[in-house]
Amino acid sequence: MKTIDCRNMACPMPVVMVKRALEESPGEELKVLLDDGPPRENVTRFAVNRGFTIEETPLDSGYAILISGSAGETLAIKKVKSGDSVMLIASDRLGDGPDELGRLLMKNFINTLTEVSETPDLMLFVNTGVFLTTEGSDVLEALEKLGNKGVEIASCGVCLDFFHRREKLKAGSITNMFIIAESLLKAGSAIRL
Amino acid sequence: MVKDGDLVAIFNNIHRVMKAEKLLKEKRLNMLLIPAPRALKSDCGLAIRYEEADRTLIEETLRDAGLAAEEIYRKKGEEFIRIDNPGG
Repeated sequence: MKTIDCRNMACPMPVVMVKRALEESPGEELKVLLDDGPPRENVTRFAVNRGFTIEETPLDSGYAILISGSAGETLAIKKVKSGDSVMLIASDRLGDGPDELGRLLMKNFINTLTEVSETPDLMLFVNTGVFLTTEGSDVLEALEKLGNKGVEIASCGVCLDFFHRREKLKAGSITNMFIIAESLLKAGSAIRL
Repeated sequence: MVKDGDLVAIFNNIHRVMKAEKLLKEKRLNMLLIPAPRALKSDCGLAIRYEEADRTLIEETLRDAGLAAEEIYRKKGEEFIRIDNPGG
């Protein structure tokens, strides 16, 4: 079992380190030492959202979190609660009109989300929306920032397959239509872009 | 979006900022089109962010293409300090 010490690290470094460690040794248990507060909360949320099992033990300084299991193919998305806001991003363009303008507006919209105080609880990317969560997207930095703020990001698996981009997913997890449908129906507000 | 020390170029015209982004991307220069920070006035609400290390190349490329930014700022703490030479 690998142990990584992420104490005295500022966010988002602990999440980045954990993500890297899990990717390097899939299936292996990972022990992470973390400071209490945002590092512990963010790493826990990150692992749970990806379907891992966690076990927390308080230490003299911080917490030890044992991460086990493996990320499923269709990843467990946190249960949407009534009152949550869910955003369905069904295109890589915002609005009807020239593609170039639409792409720019969508990019600007997602980048702007990182600068405003209100954020959605869940962002679902479908159809050409998955171009935003995969390699070559200009909003990966913004999505990572949103992820670190607790926004869950998920892309439609069928859409990733259609565009041959499953292996190129760079932000968030993969989801299916059950989760998309349930999340939209349960959400307090569902915003379709 | 903007870290301490980063540079932010404001264009005030959507067509110019789109052309600038396209050109810099073609040249594979490291930059990002971002919403103009609220503290800065920009008619089109868009700006290009880059790092000091890429500054010379980016600004020269834009100038050579007739796409020089209207205003350039450097983020310092919570403030944006104008660093281009207005009218000069």
